Amino acid sequence: MQDLGVVETILRNRVLFFEQIRQGTGLAEKMRAMLISSVIFFALYGGVLGSTHSLWQALSSAAKLPVLFLATLFICAPTLYFFNVLFGSNQSLTQNVALILTAITVTAVLLLSFAPISLFFLLTTSHYQFFKLLNVGIFAVAGIMGVLFLSQGMRIVAADAADGDAARRRVLRLWMFLYAFVGSQLAWTIRPFIGAPSIEFELFRQLGGNFYANIFASLGEILGFFTVQ
Amino acid sequence: MSTNDRSKTDQILDLLLDVLSERQERRGRAAEANDRRAAPVLPLPSSEAPVQRRAEENRTSRTPPQPPPVTRAQDAPVVDWPTPDEPPTGLSTHPAEWPAILAADGDNDWPEPVKAPGRAAADSVESLPAIQFERMLRRLAILLVLLLIVVNIPFNRSGLSLARAMPDARSLIIRDGLVLKGSGEKIYVLENNQKRWITSLEAFEWHGYRWEQVNVVDDTFLDRFADGRPLYVLLKCGLSAHIYALEDGQKRWIKDIETFKTEGFVWEDVKFIGCNTLRQMPTGLPIPVNAGPSPEP
Repeated sequence: MQDLGVVETILRNRVLFFEQIRQGTGLAEKMRAMLISSVIFFALYGGVLGSTHSLWQALSSAAKLPVLFLATLFICAPTLYFFNVLFGSNQSLTQNVALILTAITVTAVLLLSFAPISLFFLLTTSHYQFFKLLNVGIFAVAGIMGVLFLSQGMRIVAADAADGDAARRRVLRLWMFLYAFVGSQLAWTIRPFIGAPSIEFELFRQLGGNFYANIFASLGEILGFFTVQ
Repeated sequence: MSTNDRSKTDQILDLLLDVLSERQERRGRAAEANDRRAAPVLPLPSSEAPVQRRAEENRTSRTPPQPPPVTRAQDAPVVDWPTPDEPPTGLSTHPAEWPAILAADGDNDWPEPVKAPGRAAADSVESLPAIQFERMLRRLAILLVLLLIVVNIPFNRSGLSLARAMPDARSLIIRDGLVLKGSGEKIYVLENNQKRWITSLEAFEWHGYRWEQVNVVDDTFLDRFADGRPLYVLLKCGLSAHIYALEDGQKRWIKDIETFKTEGFVWEDVKFIGCNTLRQMPTGLPIPVNAGPSPEP
């Protein structure tokens, strides 16, 4: 539980935290603490998500949500690293991963802060599509804050690079889209996280459709245009 | 006093004043430096904290960057930090550019980190006003775990829990295999956007449906779907050419292929079972009823 202290440092004194990453101070400890904190927070939020369906779904989502974010990190981190190096960065891969982990930890703690709200709607409303969209919104807000944090951290950590600052900034922006895209596709692949009512618990649902079409369909149903099939 | 004497006195007084003001300035600087070194790290009183913090931010924003972090204030090594007039040595000059870097990109929406005075406090979280963040985080996590357990504990015999207790919690996702029942007796299963009547209890059970899967809906909702082929249980064993429809717990022989087609049966619905099992089933009326005696499989 002492690893949770890293969250306070990140949220309240991020400049110091990024400077330490830049200097490579205690990277392993930091990464371990961030990993543990974010896994706990994601697991808790996953548990809230899955509780709408069944206990099994709650346990499954608690395990799947941390996997989703960490797998996305490991899929996307090399791209960011190699493009940064290409454009003059002198950070190591570990520093890059530490920075992305910082963003993920921010996302995780913000999700945790949203957990009571999600739980409230879980208990007071029963509209599956609404709950799904609510959570997509929550994930979007938390994710955007996380990548904004990453953007700041990247500028501080790469401040002493010789040149290519503008190029790296552009790379980072493009990478954020890639990160969101990979994350949403992976989320779709390892769904369900909430578990559709009237469907038995399933660890993974068969592939088909895509995340964006499903969100569009859910919006359509909420607005009364059509019914999700 | 002559004009000459007065001007000399004025000059002496001016010199004195200059010396005095210089000395006062020097003392002030020294006192300020002492204050900065010796300032204790104390949490600010809640009512005064925002005002003092803002004043502190204004002050620190004009001072050079603080030295690298110290994890705990009490463990801080005693070293002489540079005074405001000296440039920091052995430190990156970049932190001084941070505000500019952050501001340049236009998305510096985060609140600036609060820096407390005192060299031991240099930039560590411990130097910030204590808000019991870690403890609060831990409590929130524990509270959520407890809530999750509470909302998932079944509170009635059928295993319903608080998380799924809302009356209309089972809002429907329209999909193949969804079992529906209107105000009438008939139970349907959706397939390819058509509702298929499940013709018998045997068919219901044979296809693996369970009563808890049946969703009672409005007739208007049912009417949205066109009628598909009724769902029968058609049985055949490998050693026999005859096909039987299972109804009311009895096997009913289907006379010939023509009848098979006329009744709306399809080959996809024919299930193969062992001949002994089929023989042990009670025999009902054939289809059609005037087809004569039913042959044994």
